[in-house]
Amino acid sequence: MRPREETISVGGVGVHTWIGGQGDPLLVLHGAGGNRGWTRWLAQVAERFTVWAPTHPGFGRSGDADWMDGIDDLARFHLWFIDAAGLGRPHLVGHSIGGWTAAEMATMSPGSIDRLVLVAPVGLKPEKGEILDVFYYSPPQLLAMTVHDPKTVPEWDELYGRAPTPAELEIATRNREMAARLAWKPYMHNPRLAHFLPRVTNPTLIVWGREDRVVPVECGEQYRRLLPNADLTVLERCGHLPPVEQPEIFARLVLDFLGGHNRR
Amino acid sequence: MKLYYFSEMPHHEFPDEEGDKYPSLRLEFPNRFFDREKAAANYQRYLTEYEFADQAGFDGLMINEHHSTPSCVNVGVNMTAAVLGRTTRRAKILLLGNILPIEDNPVRMAEQLAMADLISGGRVLSGFVRGVGVETWWSNTNPVHNRERFEECHDLILKCWTEPGPFRWEGRHYHFRHVNPWCLPLQKPHPPIWTPGTASPETAVWAGRRGYTYVPFLVPFEIARELFDYYRQGAAEVGRTVTADNLGFLICAVTAETKAKALEAGRHFVWRMGPTLRAPTEYFAPVGMRSRAGAQFALRARPRSLATLSYQELLDGQFIVAGTPDEVIDRFSRIQRELGVGHLLLEAQESRMDHPTTMRSIELMGAKVIPAVAAL
Repeated sequence: MRPREETISVGGVGVHTWIGGQGDPLLVLHGAGGNRGWTRWLAQVAERFTVWAPTHPGFGRSGDADWMDGIDDLARFHLWFIDAAGLGRPHLVGHSIGGWTAAEMATMSPGSIDRLVLVAPVGLKPEKGEILDVFYYSPPQLLAMTVHDPKTVPEWDELYGRAPTPAELEIATRNREMAARLAWKPYMHNPRLAHFLPRVTNPTLIVWGREDRVVPVECGEQYRRLLPNADLTVLERCGHLPPVEQPEIFARLVLDFLGGHNRR
Repeated sequence: MKLYYFSEMPHHEFPDEEGDKYPSLRLEFPNRFFDREKAAANYQRYLTEYEFADQAGFDGLMINEHHSTPSCVNVGVNMTAAVLGRTTRRAKILLLGNILPIEDNPVRMAEQLAMADLISGGRVLSGFVRGVGVETWWSNTNPVHNRERFEECHDLILKCWTEPGPFRWEGRHYHFRHVNPWCLPLQKPHPPIWTPGTASPETAVWAGRRGYTYVPFLVPFEIARELFDYYRQGAAEVGRTVTADNLGFLICAVTAETKAKALEAGRHFVWRMGPTLRAPTEYFAPVGMRSRAGAQFALRARPRSLATLSYQELLDGQFIVAGTPDEVIDRFSRIQRELGVGHLLLEAQESRMDHPTTMRSIELMGAKVIPAVAAL
């Protein structure tokens, strides 16, 4: 089934959203790099779930939200999005800052979501190492540090293979600005999140790349310890973008985790 | 036209090849290369030079502030203002300036500036700046808030100076429930306010609306004119008339008895233009710090980074003036004619330019150049 694009109004902000597939609703929250659209893994997951992939306010083609100050604002916003889009109690997948947002949403309202998939989420201060200061590097430098090996990324050419157009550059700048607005200080984490994660009893799958140079893989272990009902899967030869670096394996992990579950 | 003496108080006390190993002298060059004994001696030297500039007849002494860089170890512009307020007698003290967006307590800043104004007998010219990105990293201030914080910090400082306390301030970025500063400036209603510009049209318009003295730093003449046009546009919006007293310009300058000596001394400014400005884009312009208009203007204003220009190109572009007093008078007169400014700020000491050369340049400026350009 071909995906469609819609703009859904939430609190006066137009949220550009990719929607496609069939089955129970699955809400997907993107990382600081922005909404990459209907990528390979989404298409696979959409065979069994209706995927809703909104673009965060201030990113991409969604409306501005200069009043937001942090990821907790974004989390409250996406809980509202669930209501506005009529998703009921969706499964929730979040990557990087989208994973952090998903974790915050779960601590705020665990009953609003079903199963939770956190993919290399920021949000916790690493006990060992540091989260890479992504704003300190140029986008090309950052991309090189984000994936383990470009040669193994099946969609490399589609996603990164040509110079961006002026419109795409504008969106990339906008994405970076909004990410800075949300996560500058404390940098990419919420010192209070660890105190709230034990509230989240939702079944949770945590996925990390062993070679993640943006967020230390040790943070996956921290999340696993703090969440009462979570498993951690670490993918070998994978960096910070498991859904893009290993789309088949990642989609299979998500489907296996969500698919065997009888929802209601 | 009034002349101002300015030193960045650099700390060029390390082998250059060590600095070359790092992506920038700013933020990344390790402070194990900071030489405490030499720094102690340099502060004495730099302050002596400022004091001599006051005696020699400069209209003003300009000071600035940077962080995490050997190009400028004046890390507290209000501290320096207080020192010079006590040890000089006549010249204005131009702080250009306090970096408002990185300030967390505008009330304390209002108090410190007031105290410097009181100590100096009302000689403070209070410059407010947005800062370069390096200071945003140094202070870990969110760059997307830079302009909002600049304006709100300014508004609160002005309110401290002009409205009786106690009052409450609850803004977007600053929150104070009991504002009642027991230190107010000697000048009424407050010290004159200045602001510099390198690329942001918004800042020029903002300054024009308020009638603040506006000073482009080290830009080509045509860019300065364009920024002055934005300034005039802001002034026109509120019906203000722009005079030469509203406009200034900053260059590097040194004079000596002979052209050869002056050119030899002026070569030291190349360090300031080159190695100290070398850095990845993100260090000077982190994401969100500049508006789109500002970013586009900056690209036009600096099609080539100062860091890539040769000494001769810097001389030809009027970024550096180095010559005999007569030659310097001629150049300064030309700047005045081209730009119509009432204030010329001279970055007049740099890194390894030695103390005798600096003092002699100050002396010659005072004896010959300042009287000649005063009438312009």
